[in-house]
Amino acid sequence: MNDLVKVMIDDREVEVPKGTGLVETAASAGIEIPVFCYEPRLGAPIGACRMCLVEVEGLPNLQAGCTLTAQDGMVVKTAASSEKAAEGQNATLEFILVNHPLDCPVCDKGGECPLQDLTFRYGPGNTRMSFPKITLEKPIPVSPLIALDRERCILCYRCTRFSSDVAEDNQLVARNRGSHTEISTFESDPYRAPFSGNVIELCPVGALTSTQYRFEARPWEIQNVPTICGLCPVGCNVNATVREGKVKRILSRNHPEVDGGWLCDKGRFTYPHLTAEDRITEPLVRGGLGLEPVGWDAALDRAEELLRGADTRIVTALSGSESVEQAYALARLLRVGLGAHTAVLPEPTSAALDAFRLPLSSIAAAEIIVIVGDDDVADRAPVVDLWLRAARRNGSEIVHYGPTGTEYTDPGGAAAALQAITASGNALGGRLRSAERVILIWSGDGGGGGARLAETAHALGLEGKPGSGAFHLPATPNGRGVAIAWAAAADEDESSPEPIGLLIVSGDEAAANPAVRALAERAENVIAITMFHGLAVGWADLVLPATGSLESDGTLLNLEGRLQRLRRTVIAPVPDELAWLSNLAGRFDVELSPHAAVVFDELSESAFGGVDGSGLSGAAPLAARTPYEAPAPAPAAEDRAAAPPHSADEHFLSELRLLRYRPLFSGPFVERIGELAFQRPTAEIELSTEDATRRAIMTGDTVGVRSNGTSVELRARINRGLMAGVARVADEHASDLHLHVEVVKL
Amino acid sequence: MSSLGLYDEIQVIRERYPESLSAVMPALQLAQERNGGWLPEEAFREVADALDLTPAYCLSIASFYDMFRLEPVGEHLIEVCTNISCGLNGAQQVVEAFESELGVRAGETTDTFSLRTVECLGGCGWATIVAVNNRHRLNVQAEDVPEIVAELRGTGRGEE
Amino acid sequence: MTPSTPEIVFAGTNGGALTEIADYQAVGGFEALVKSRALTPDEVIAELNASNLRGRGGGFFPTGRKWSFVPKPDEIDSPHYLVINADESEPGTFKDREIMLRVPFRFLEGCLIAAHAIESRHVFVYIRGEYEAEFDVLVSALEQMRAKDLLGDVTIVLHRGAGAYICGEETALLESLEGRRGLPRTKPPFPATAGLYASPTAVNNVESITSTTTVMEIGGAEYAKLGVENSTGTRVFSLSGNVVSGGNYELPHGFPLRDLIYDLGGGIADGRSLKAVIPGGSSTVILTAGEADRVTLDFDSLVGAGSAIGSAAVIALDDRCCMVQLAVRVSQFYEHESCGKCTPCRVGTKWLTSILQKIEDGRGTQADMDLLVSVADRINGKCLCPLGDSDAIAVMSYFDKFRDEFQAHVDEGGCPFHGTSSLDHLLAPVAMHVHNEAVAHA
Ligand SMILES: Cc1cc2nc3c(=O)[nH]c(=O)nc-3n(C[C@H](O)[C@H](O)[C@H](O)COP(=O)(O)O)c2cc1C
Ligand code: SF4
Ligand code: FES
Repeated sequence: MNDLVKVMIDDREVEVPKGTGLVETAASAGIEIPVFCYEPRLGAPIGACRMCLVEVEGLPNLQAGCTLTAQDGMVVKTAASSEKAAEGQNATLEFILVNHPLDCPVCDKGGECPLQDLTFRYGPGNTRMSFPKITLEKPIPVSPLIALDRERCILCYRCTRFSSDVAEDNQLVARNRGSHTEISTFESDPYRAPFSGNVIELCPVGALTSTQYRFEARPWEIQNVPTICGLCPVGCNVNATVREGKVKRILSRNHPEVDGGWLCDKGRFTYPHLTAEDRITEPLVRGGLGLEPVGWDAALDRAEELLRGADTRIVTALSGSESVEQAYALARLLRVGLGAHTAVLPEPTSAALDAFRLPLSSIAAAEIIVIVGDDDVADRAPVVDLWLRAARRNGSEIVHYGPTGTEYTDPGGAAAALQAITASGNALGGRLRSAERVILIWSGDGGGGGARLAETAHALGLEGKPGSGAFHLPATPNGRGVAIAWAAAADEDESSPEPIGLLIVSGDEAAANPAVRALAERAENVIAITMFHGLAVGWADLVLPATGSLESDGTLLNLEGRLQRLRRTVIAPVPDELAWLSNLAGRFDVELSPHAAVVFDELSESAFGGVDGSGLSGAAPLAARTPYEAPAPAPAAEDRAAAPPHSADEHFLSELRLLRYRPLFSGPFVERIGELAFQRPTAEIELSTEDATRRAIMTGDTVGVRSNGTSVELRARINRGLMAGVARVADEHASDLHLHVEVVKL
Repeated sequence: MSSLGLYDEIQVIRERYPESLSAVMPALQLAQERNGGWLPEEAFREVADALDLTPAYCLSIASFYDMFRLEPVGEHLIEVCTNISCGLNGAQQVVEAFESELGVRAGETTDTFSLRTVECLGGCGWATIVAVNNRHRLNVQAEDVPEIVAELRGTGRGEE
Repeated sequence: MTPSTPEIVFAGTNGGALTEIADYQAVGGFEALVKSRALTPDEVIAELNASNLRGRGGGFFPTGRKWSFVPKPDEIDSPHYLVINADESEPGTFKDREIMLRVPFRFLEGCLIAAHAIESRHVFVYIRGEYEAEFDVLVSALEQMRAKDLLGDVTIVLHRGAGAYICGEETALLESLEGRRGLPRTKPPFPATAGLYASPTAVNNVESITSTTTVMEIGGAEYAKLGVENSTGTRVFSLSGNVVSGGNYELPHGFPLRDLIYDLGGGIADGRSLKAVIPGGSSTVILTAGEADRVTLDFDSLVGAGSAIGSAAVIALDDRCCMVQLAVRVSQFYEHESCGKCTPCRVGTKWLTSILQKIEDGRGTQADMDLLVSVADRINGKCLCPLGDSDAIAVMSYFDKFRDEFQAHVDEGGCPFHGTSSLDHLLAPVAMHVHNEAVAHA
């Protein structure tokens, strides 16, 4: 524990740990030191805006309070008690306002603007600037998502520091010098990076605004509803800004252990999918003319009919984006009501990992981090990528085994890599055993991720080490919660019915999943529970409208193993799943409450050791670690998951191993947001320098990619971080290319 | 300029520094030299690629310093110091002499000439200082200007 | 350039240049290095302390003290760096360039001595981008030294600036050298503990380092006998403005300002009379002719007169110079060079310029005179680094000492010089930008 020091601020004595920032020290005494550029999450203070000027005993000049830390015996006077400091702050505000337009009434920030507030409290009544203010072209697009009003910009450099020091994308920068300094991207390039939207929230004035939110609402007309982002397994804490029953914007609701106050652009900007044109608002049944709307009673009668018709020959495909309660309700209906135990569940995350639980934030403090897997962390669990960057800045060593990693391993080689580390005599393994804080991360599909990870963590003895642990990055937001809920509903084993009488497709991820589509071929009937027409047409016999995660109460289990409370932020245009599920369940003599809270209490005991649901709102806690139980050993097949290594002459035959990946900006929601189109991957194929050179291919060339039967044309890009013998292509551009492809310059 | 050439030369510069970011200024200086005295969009992309930076970052650096040029410059760059000591010794007359001799105003560019005024060039004791393609001429008076211009009209870049 | 005695920095040049290593060795070159390398780092620092050599870059901080703040290698495991500030850009200053041109080896020898003193093996010379000839001379000198194996295990990297006055400020210089925009850092931490790449770093001016060679050659005690108390040794003064023979003059500290102007400088040109003197570069407080008559060129005397020795750049202004025009031009310089990081400087310098321009144009009112004072006061002492403050301090010194002239502009509704002032309509780069935009929009 840090030793305490006494500081005197405005004749109030405070005691804080030595080195505490002066701004925080003052705050702890209930004294405000106003700031603009100061934002601890952006790294060391820069002392640029000079809003925080204070008088420090013994120093002739005013000091930037934000750059000072508490020292024993320090005597500080803020504007509250020092004429000089007050004059200094007034001066700073006058300088800032010299070029700031007085358009607050039409400014999105108006009413929630620090500059407006501080001017009111510390500022000059009027400006003495008799010269024309700098006028600039405004607003200019920084990207299709973000608009920049340079006249309003006060050059606090928060946005550029986020870009360079937090996300490290270096896309948004300051250009020119002195009074000509301005925030800018490169020429006409958009700010294209996974976390760009955070700069909107960081901007202390209305200079950077959301193009989706512009002029949509005024602060006094809105309400911020706290909930969880349901789009990936991180489960960032968010506030949904709601006006007249519509979600107008998504803001971060800083959970220091989970998201550190950052959001990815997928979580921030996809909310308009709730009002997508092809949103399904009433049940549909297949008739002569394709899908036709029917009333709810008719729909539920039809559902009952299909269920009875198929009796137990039912397969349920779940998305992993359902809330725990929705999955449980479905399971109760089907498993208890009909004895239909067969389900296609999202990829499992081993329970054995609970012995190695820890908050995501501890990544930033790790000594050594080992990542295995084929996927970029940012594509599977975006905010984890920010924690990793923080770790690197803090000096952590990060080793990544994968085709794009620091240590090249063939695609699918994650499990093998872990085995190698734990093998006796492995150098890294040795260091991991002796290191204080070690974190393992599995970032890829297959290979029994969670289980293999748990075994490795156990072999390295991590359960005993506080700052150490392991994270499996699943492909779906609540896959594990869904699996647990499904299991909690009944314990009979599943059979695999053939032929399938009825396939129930729950959720849009499942509906968009080719594997599930394949199952449908073998099914007599299909019930699809989905939000969008696009996903229902052509294969469903009955379509039941789904709600989005912003529209329902419930609970999600994130990749840490943290239960978090989902809140209904707006009323869905369709009835809640739980409502009609409990109705249907009733028809099969299964009692099921339509209220999420009640459902949770019911399943909590069997599924989550009786956690009290009411404790999951706010900043939800992470459950304690459980004792380690060895998971089921890997089936022989999985060890062979790694592709046979390529031999050099095989290269010469120009056979490349195709590495498909699922980009962060993909999926049914993203596809429905026009403003996000520019973030989606271009139709390109990434090649290693070696493979490109051998084929005389340069970045920008058009190449033909062939595997027996199929052929596509893609733009080539040399990726210096990619291992030779592997070609990387986004799923949506790989059509149905096979595992090995030929790449030729066209 | 073959982009490969620049790429490799920048790797050499990179070796001089403990951290490769330090190479960004010399790399931009080299790129500017290779691109006729200014930095077109493509130059930024090449430098960024060679140093694993973004073009935006390189632009933020280049635009901070006066000697990086973001628009084309004439074959001959004429810079007249108009800071205190040169000002006291007739710098403004020198500027005006160049303006009338070249038919451009300070800050403008023809394809042959770029004329600018600059801050103290560090030759105050020998005012007025005029930098012609970065080479300093001392004790320049308004009446010397026609001769200088004539001389430059007769030569190509750097030949003088 | 008039030779002047005693020569320390320029010793052995006889008004010429020592750019061939043989010539330099002929006048005892590199003996100081041999001597120093035979001593422990602490012994070298002790010599520097005995000499009381103080920084020639403007800060006047004791060089030996600065080096003693750099932690010893056993106290910290990151490498040590010596960074030479050769970014000379303070208006009126042009001494470092002549040192590099005429005694490059004495300068580089000093680098090696300093590197030995702080136990560094990495030296970076950040040289002003506009100094091409100087850069070439250093390149050739380094070649010759390598050929003679004088560098030992020390590497000296020449890093060229690209035109930004602020990069003369040591922390901005370090940022720039690291490949960032030249924005000053907040202190602490100071470079000595966390400088280049967050490692222990000594930043020294070219002349300070070159003088180090002499200190080690003749010994600290001998050196301390030159000059006056608190300001020992010689200084290369850059004389410019309305004098007959401007140039660099190496003189012992304590030399009378008037003798520099009238004896060495040949007095005021065109038979005009002296009006004022800027004694230490544009950032220092101006002296009236009367004040200039009384001061000597050393730290205490100039501080006593309310100014500073700064970069030892003496600018003489004759009676043709309009003080408001001077203020406009100086403020334009700081506006142009403001890095833009902190608000008071970025906004304030530009605002000051426009108020001054308004007064010069005869549009100024009494209220503008008060506003001028108030805005200057709101900049001064509020900035992150001294650049912004310097603008306010310099301009205010013109205002305070030549208030009547400012007043006349307001009362007569125009410049009392009616176009005869030597700085009349001087086109500054900042003004040029504006005029460009005008052209662009037209
Ligand atoms: C705005 C500003 C500009 C400066 N310019 C220079 C310069 O051009 N050359 C220089 O040596 N020092 C300059 N300095 C002083 C440096 O910050 C630093 O004090 C000096 O280089 C230390 O070397 P010294 O102790 O040997 O003098 C400047 C300081 C400021 C605030
Ligand atoms: S005072 Fe001027 S130069 Fe110094 S940090 Fe502030 S803006 Fe930059
Ligand atoms: S908050 Fe301290 S300088 Fe900006």
